Amino acid sequence: MNHSARWSNVLLSPDRTESYLDYARGWEKRIGSFLELSPPVPASPPRGDLAGIPFAVKDNIAVEGFNLTCGSKMLAGLKSPYTATAVRRLQEAGALVVGKTNLDEFGMGSSTDTSALARTSNPWDTSLVAGGSSGGSAAAVAAGIVPFALGSDTGGSIRQPAAFCGIYGLKPTYGAVSRYGLVAYASSLEGIGVVAESVGFARRVFEVIRGIDPLDHSSVEYLPSGQTPPRPRLGVVRGLAGLSGEIERAYRRAADLARGLGMEVSEVDLKTFDYVVPAYYTIATAEASANLARFNGIRYGLRPEGTENPEQLVKGARNRGFGDEVKLRILLGTYVLRSGFQDRYYVRAQKIRTAIRNDLQALFGAVDLLLLPVFPTAAFKHGEAGLTPFQQKLADRFTVTANLAGIPALSFPMGSEAGAPLGLQLLAPAFEEERLFRAAESFAEAVPLEHPPGYSEEWRS
Amino acid sequence: MYQAFVGLEIHVQLLTKSKVFCGCRAAFGDEPNTNVCPVCMGYPGVLPTLNRQAIVQAYLVARALDCELSESAVFERKNYFYPDLPKNYQISQLGSPVGRNGRVDLDLGGSRRRVPIREVHLEEDAGKMIHAGDVSLLDYNRAGTPLLEIVTEPVLERGEEAELFLQYFRRMVRYLGVCDGNMEEGSLRCDANVSVNRPGKGLGSKVEIKNMNSSRFVKKALAFEIARQSGLLDRGAPVAQETRLWNENRDLTEAMRSKEEADDYRYFPEPDLPPFKPDAAFLLDVEKGLVELPSARRERLVAEYGLGPDQVDFIIDEKSRADFFERTVALGADPLAAASWLGSDVKRLLNREGVELAESPLTPERLAGLLVLLASGRIHGKIAKQVLEVLFAEGKDPETIIRERAWEQLIDAGAIAKLVDEAIDANEKAAAQIRAGDEKPVGFLVGEIMKATSGRAEPQLVRSVLKERLAKSR
Ligand SMILES: [Zn+2]
Repeated sequence: MNHSARWSNVLLSPDRTESYLDYARGWEKRIGSFLELSPPVPASPPRGDLAGIPFAVKDNIAVEGFNLTCGSKMLAGLKSPYTATAVRRLQEAGALVVGKTNLDEFGMGSSTDTSALARTSNPWDTSLVAGGSSGGSAAAVAAGIVPFALGSDTGGSIRQPAAFCGIYGLKPTYGAVSRYGLVAYASSLEGIGVVAESVGFARRVFEVIRGIDPLDHSSVEYLPSGQTPPRPRLGVVRGLAGLSGEIERAYRRAADLARGLGMEVSEVDLKTFDYVVPAYYTIATAEASANLARFNGIRYGLRPEGTENPEQLVKGARNRGFGDEVKLRILLGTYVLRSGFQDRYYVRAQKIRTAIRNDLQALFGAVDLLLLPVFPTAAFKHGEAGLTPFQQKLADRFTVTANLAGIPALSFPMGSEAGAPLGLQLLAPAFEEERLFRAAESFAEAVPLEHPPGYSEEWRS
Repeated sequence: MYQAFVGLEIHVQLLTKSKVFCGCRAAFGDEPNTNVCPVCMGYPGVLPTLNRQAIVQAYLVARALDCELSESAVFERKNYFYPDLPKNYQISQLGSPVGRNGRVDLDLGGSRRRVPIREVHLEEDAGKMIHAGDVSLLDYNRAGTPLLEIVTEPVLERGEEAELFLQYFRRMVRYLGVCDGNMEEGSLRCDANVSVNRPGKGLGSKVEIKNMNSSRFVKKALAFEIARQSGLLDRGAPVAQETRLWNENRDLTEAMRSKEEADDYRYFPEPDLPPFKPDAAFLLDVEKGLVELPSARRERLVAEYGLGPDQVDFIIDEKSRADFFERTVALGADPLAAASWLGSDVKRLLNREGVELAESPLTPERLAGLLVLLASGRIHGKIAKQVLEVLFAEGKDPETIIRERAWEQLIDAGAIAKLVDEAIDANEKAAAQIRAGDEKPVGFLVGEIMKATSGRAEPQLVRSVLKERLAKSR
């Protein structure tokens, strides 16, 4: 509660907004987490559970009055004519949108470097990426510009940047949070979630944004079991290969800590593990190929000049508006959906998806929580020195499982090594977010939160 | 000789208040791009929400066509790029549509036949692109309005049969109140597939025919196409599998620009809409909408009221007309009189005024009132026709009209006796003739009395009083 008390006054007067902007701009010169930053000056003090608390929104989530660029040239300059349900619920609880954060173009990437509009760096070390695709949101929270931010997670896009920036990242149960207002990349896999500086904020925000929404037919009533085991059984996965030294050490350390924290730790196998990445990219790109078809330069967005006919206009807009990674995924998705090829790719991927769900369901009979790395490495470097797009896709193997199964997952900080934060994630059965929060709170007692150099709370007091 | 196989693909624009996946008004003829919102304009981040009225109507049509109703109707994305399609995919159905394996039994030119219905599926319509000189204009008012597609098996054999089926179908959707059935304006659209082969050889090459904007054009286009394909086969020439357009000005079908390869729509299940699973309350709503269909009503009206074949066809052609008829009868009118008036004088006045029965001043209450006045002898036929004219002109009840104009028949014996006496006094010679036993001038005297009362006097009564008077005084 004292956390929010410090945050709830930062935008209460023009003076305060000025010092807020001073702090934020100081960071922004180095990390570039925002595509648009314009904190409001409330006419009257806001009311509600999150009254006055500033937050940032990933720029693929609609907020009326703000841009909705998705980090793409295609939509640069597009003002959103409406507000996403999750944002509206936060606003109704008194929270204040201060701006829109950078992302990989249309959420397609793990570094935020595929954004066509700005470059975002990791607050811990600007030679490192912030992760992605919700890299802007994670960087803004880690830098202490906002206590929480909304992101979206299609295959790890909340958890991985949260881990890279040393904060918390919640990917909720599929359908628990309305997708209305989230620009679709892979509709059946993704959802809106939260990156936050504390478990407390993640929980409070989740409680506000969750729940059925008549504007999203895939949203569901939130019905948790209400039971949180006092001594949870934690599954750690046997024989995980390809981890960097620091992540392997963090994973072992977390398992040891868990025993010390009174959890029952056991080793488990993930039988479907080898299939998750191909299944994920088949389904995600298939859906993306249809979801991104609407961007044709006719009703809004980039419109090339001097075209002779509608076909030229559409081709020109898509050719110039989309970046390489987006084009690659649209092509891949179009390919796997071709008639005659669906059985080999799309249908088979759906079967694998069902197998993964069943695998996890069986697993959650034996354990209450599953501990996994988020990413095989800590934050990598920008550009050539980092990972190739293909290596990045392979590295999604730890995160996409939760998306394919529709279950909740929370990444949490596990200290740092060599100036880069480390993060791990916990997975739970659908609607058991509270289990994740409780476990993360236990770990937080043993591993204090670290901040990047330059982080300050003084300006807030 | 050859055998022809014709199947129809009918698109029905449903009469819902709002569009199928958003809250915009589903109306036609408004200013371009006024009935639009982020959802039907395909803005980023929006999601479709299924309109209950549209899915009820879809199941209703499937039910009326005796289909197996889907317990889990799946929406799918049909992907293709066209500027009038905002999302560049259409939400449609493929693997698990609303209804399947239905049938219609109907009279096809003398014989009772069964037309199997392959499927009924719900989808969204596209907008409209208009080319004006060197610019293309787009109107998205129609984008996202609900469209129902009905596909028959290819069992029709002649253009006339297709026309009869279409007329039957049009009447059915109008009865169900789900479509206005206007083919000229495109609220009911029909494409056909035609293949011709030697008897017993199965289907030949399939040719799609589009652009038939009336049931008459469907008949003509199919007759032309069957003859064209038969001619090709006669000459041993192959029939190309293609899409052809009906040219109503030249009375022939023309090949559309042929595509090098078949369209690949890359269908896959719509992740934004879970399969629709009708529950008991929903199915009850569907049953409530299932009105008595035209064929059943025809049989009942003949049995119950003894209407003749032409009369009953006219009455049942429109549900509103049949309802009007039955209400009029329920209010006490003679059924045959009601049917005959609706088919003659009422129809003539509606045509003259250019209005629909439902919008006219005539109500079942008023028609029944008029027919009861006529049957009870308070007015006679000629006056009744005049009352109907006045009713259309002034919108008043028949009772009011005859009172205001004093058109009620004179049936008071005393008053008639007085008129008879006056006529006798004025026509001594004729009276004397009658008294002498010559009945010839009776007609003349009755005519004089009718003239004096502008036709209001009841002629039979006048005649009998007259005879009585002249007999007595003998
Ligand atoms: Zn709309």
